[in-house]
Amino acid sequence: MSVDAPLVTLRFFGALRDTIGQKEVCLPCAGGTVKEILLRFVEEHGDAVRHFIFDEQGNQWRSLLLLLNDEPIEDNQETHVKAGDVISLLLPLAGG
Amino acid sequence: MEFTEEQIERYSRHIILPEVGGKGQRRLLDAKVLIVGAGGLGSPTGLYLAAAGVGTIGVADSDAVEMSNLQRQLLHSTPDLGRQKCLSAKETMEAINPDVSVVPHDVRLTSANILDIIAGYDVVVDGSDNFPTRYLVNDACVMARKPLSHAGILRFEGQVTTIIPGEGPCYRCLYPDPPPPGLVPSCQEAGILGAVAGVVGTIQAGEVLKLILGIGDTLVGRLLLYNALEVTFREMRIARHSDCPVCGDHPTVTALIDYEEFCSLRGSGSVSEEVTS
Ligand SMILES: [Zn+2]
Repeated sequence: MSVDAPLVTLRFFGALRDTIGQKEVCLPCAGGTVKEILLRFVEEHGDAVRHFIFDEQGNQWRSLLLLLNDEPIEDNQETHVKAGDVISLLLPLAGG
Repeated sequence: MEFTEEQIERYSRHIILPEVGGKGQRRLLDAKVLIVGAGGLGSPTGLYLAAAGVGTIGVADSDAVEMSNLQRQLLHSTPDLGRQKCLSAKETMEAINPDVSVVPHDVRLTSANILDIIAGYDVVVDGSDNFPTRYLVNDACVMARKPLSHAGILRFEGQVTTIIPGEGPCYRCLYPDPPPPGLVPSCQEAGILGAVAGVVGTIQAGEVLKLILGIGDTLVGRLLLYNALEVTFREMRIARHSDCPVCGDHPTVTALIDYEEFCSLRGSGSVSEEVTS
């Protein structure tokens, strides 16, 4: 991967970070939509990661919060991501 | 009502703050706050609210004190083992400050009782340990338009926000439905560094005091993420969603649902079976 590749960062929190074993992953896929980037990411990381993000029908879990550059995303099916953007993936925390 | 000499001394460090003053301290003494869960988050919240002189503090918890709670649940001590948490919490808080009246609610919150219980309070604090209660508390607070301090913790992390229905996003604007059973671990399964509960619960206490006093900027519209391993606080902007199931323009959740049943129907390893985290 060239350093000039248009990178997008996926940043993980909670159980997702523990499963992946990394705080963040960079993917050379700027230009795609948030949904396309997530699909590509789970293809590379297998079922252990996939089941945190998509249900068996391939729909994103409604218990997953996605943020783009620490801001809300209107529609992750349509929103295009540019080089340098950071997508954060959060799960709710049960404990109290 | 005038302050007694003892009250003037007890609250002197509040009263000297121009943002609080005698007027603010009176508001605290007149305020009614419900804490859901006398556990890791409810402990620091309860301790600070009692010390601050919040006059009426409700504690909703139907569990008894267990040995594994004592690593972080500072409302309870070793001699309290086996006692009901809401009674142990009442004793601790009233010993800190005799101005405070603690109302124990020794019941599991359900769709049948929650609206009646929260009706008597100005602000609600979610320090519960399971998703069914978290969604129930959120939905009830949205429906009753009660300000809610929300937080969740696990391992070395915490998430905290403040929900004012009509002014900003609710819990379901972030996470529209509970996660499927088994996807997200509980503190019982994954552990919790005790002091994380202290940091996050203390932020909740600060939010509640500010809401009562009407000062400062709250966490409405912001989700604060705390990571104790990194010692980082990351702030995310969050927004109300027009398609939120409960506070959106066309809500689909129009009556409270018994989430305990709903979740346990979805498979084994139900999130509703956890002991207090
Ligand atoms: Zn909402």
